[in-house]
Amino acid sequence: MAAMAVDLSIPRSPHRLPALVKARLALALAAGSLAGAASRLARRGSGASIRGQLLMKVAPDALANLLPGRTIATVSGTNGKTTTTHLLTAAVRSAIGPGRVVTNADGANLHYGIASALAVAPGRDVAILETDERVVPDVVRLGKPAVLVLLNFSRDQMDRNHEIKALGRGWRDALVRAGETGPVVVANAADPLVVWAARSAPKVVWVDTATAWTQDFSLCPECGTMLTRTDGHWACPTGDLVQPEATWRVDGDAVVDPDGTRWELGLQVPGAFNVSNAACALAAAAELGIDPETAIRGMRGVTSPAGRYATAHFGSTTARLLLAKNPAGWAEALPLTTTDTIVLAIDSAAADGRDVSWLWDVEYEQLAGRHVIATGPRAQDLSVRLLYAEVEHSVVPDLATAMAGHADPVDVVATYTPFQRLRKLGGLA
Amino acid sequence: MTVTIVLVYQSLLGIYGDRGNATVLSKRLEWRGIDARVVVVEPGQTLPADAQVYLLGGGEDLAQTTAVRELTKDGNLFRAVDAGAAVFAVCAGYQICGTTFTIGERDEVVGGLGLLDVETRRGDVRAVGEILYRWTKPDGSTSLVTGFENHGGFTRLGPDARPLGVVEKGIGNGYDGSEGAQQGKVVATYPHGPVLARNPELADHVLELALGRTLDPLPHPEIDELRRQRIAAVRASRAR
Ligand SMILES: [Zn+2]
Repeated sequence: MAAMAVDLSIPRSPHRLPALVKARLALALAAGSLAGAASRLARRGSGASIRGQLLMKVAPDALANLLPGRTIATVSGTNGKTTTTHLLTAAVRSAIGPGRVVTNADGANLHYGIASALAVAPGRDVAILETDERVVPDVVRLGKPAVLVLLNFSRDQMDRNHEIKALGRGWRDALVRAGETGPVVVANAADPLVVWAARSAPKVVWVDTATAWTQDFSLCPECGTMLTRTDGHWACPTGDLVQPEATWRVDGDAVVDPDGTRWELGLQVPGAFNVSNAACALAAAAELGIDPETAIRGMRGVTSPAGRYATAHFGSTTARLLLAKNPAGWAEALPLTTTDTIVLAIDSAAADGRDVSWLWDVEYEQLAGRHVIATGPRAQDLSVRLLYAEVEHSVVPDLATAMAGHADPVDVVATYTPFQRLRKLGGLA
Repeated sequence: MTVTIVLVYQSLLGIYGDRGNATVLSKRLEWRGIDARVVVVEPGQTLPADAQVYLLGGGEDLAQTTAVRELTKDGNLFRAVDAGAAVFAVCAGYQICGTTFTIGERDEVVGGLGLLDVETRRGDVRAVGEILYRWTKPDGSTSLVTGFENHGGFTRLGPDARPLGVVEKGIGNGYDGSEGAQQGKVVATYPHGPVLARNPELADHVLELALGRTLDPLPHPEIDELRRQRIAAVRASRAR
């Protein structure tokens, strides 16, 4: 049975909250906006995430109340979910206007971040939700999303996620439980664990993202045999899992749709990785009944999702901010940098992963001949990595000092925590 | 002579930046004017039998059993050890060097490579965090080793293996306050990934085992400063 087609031309009405929950929510929001203001004054954390955390405390069932009744598309994966969510949101707004659409644009993608975004938009019936990998099962169960976009799995925060396969198993089990009422899954066919998790869904739209990063997958998630790769396609030699035929595919800077039409994207967000993200967003938009032309028109307006690729000013210094959270992210980000001096900001707070061993999975050797400024609380770890990569560098642990006094523009690549601090220091957040 | 360093099954046993140890060893040879090359071998490819150093890194359960199966079938690692090569193994690589270890939810006992007289079983806690231990070198002097451990198994040493050191902060082998193991020229430790980057004396120990001669120290203030910072950070952290 094919999943029911989505018709965005007919507005839906999000569920009304039971009076008691409503009262509790109102209370939580009132308390939360005070805390939000306080936190903004204290310049730590975003007001939205503080509000959301309070909301979940006072009304732990908030998500169950806030999700139903909306047409939901949800986006998950280790890398690219913020940008893909922005691209898909822009596509939807291009089709039906901005008034009905709610999204968690700031990248707050845990239960409280999603609840916070929905709570302040009670009348908006179309929700485009960036969702943390661990939260996907709850959103599928509680929100019955129409579309679920699964981008990729990569090693990330191994101090917390000991086995990434466990996350994939969570997705798979959620889709099995949802059965015929589950979402249409838009899935990256190039990622073996995504395929393993997604293939249990009644309807899957496969996208060949032509992903270059293969270092996180060598074993078949089904049986543990070494995967083989021929002509850029992977397969398990036992035949129990092979790369599916995709209906959408990336072709250079363009995306080819199921009819074979080639769409030049002309995005403002840079890099091959974002062409892959856009391919997934286009396929998801199509499942929402939006044609590629309309979708791309909207997507071209996306410039700096939650500060990524944004230009910021630090005194007289002009800097472009790039986020890289794990080796796959660094492999995408470093080739985008063009400046002679480049600032690399490293931390090991919980959101960055406490273990910085991943520094040795990044090819910093490619920076030889340029000058690197190592900054952030773990700048010294990067310094030793750069010593062994034979890259000329200086160590300036304080972020503001590292950003000061550059005559020419600099590119900055940062892990999550210093990236957020740089957005604030640069006047962007 | 060119010293060959083999990175064994990088895509299986390399989830924590373990290739860093190969980078560190080869650079420390080059900086002393000794030619070195790193050879990355993947499952299905034959290991060189005549290299001087073999590196085994961290990996998940499935990767551990696949690695043991492939290395046993290949056989060249055993030949190299018999011929006097050095092995440096971390984390999952340490466990598979032992006689047995456990995998999966049901703690299935699996046979290892038997290069070390050690056995690994699931521990009562998962060891995740910075670790600091005092390593006793072959000459009896000691040196601190700093790193990051992330493992669920505890390791008990038999009479043929001796521990590398005594844990000051962290879990290590888990049963008796000891950490790591050495048996002949096979050296193994729990702190994973680029542990040799933070611990140049341990790196040179592995190289000295491989070359059969002593090496002069290489002063690098960047590494001294990193060691100072990490040792201070782990000592300031709450006891685990
Ligand atoms: Zn298989």
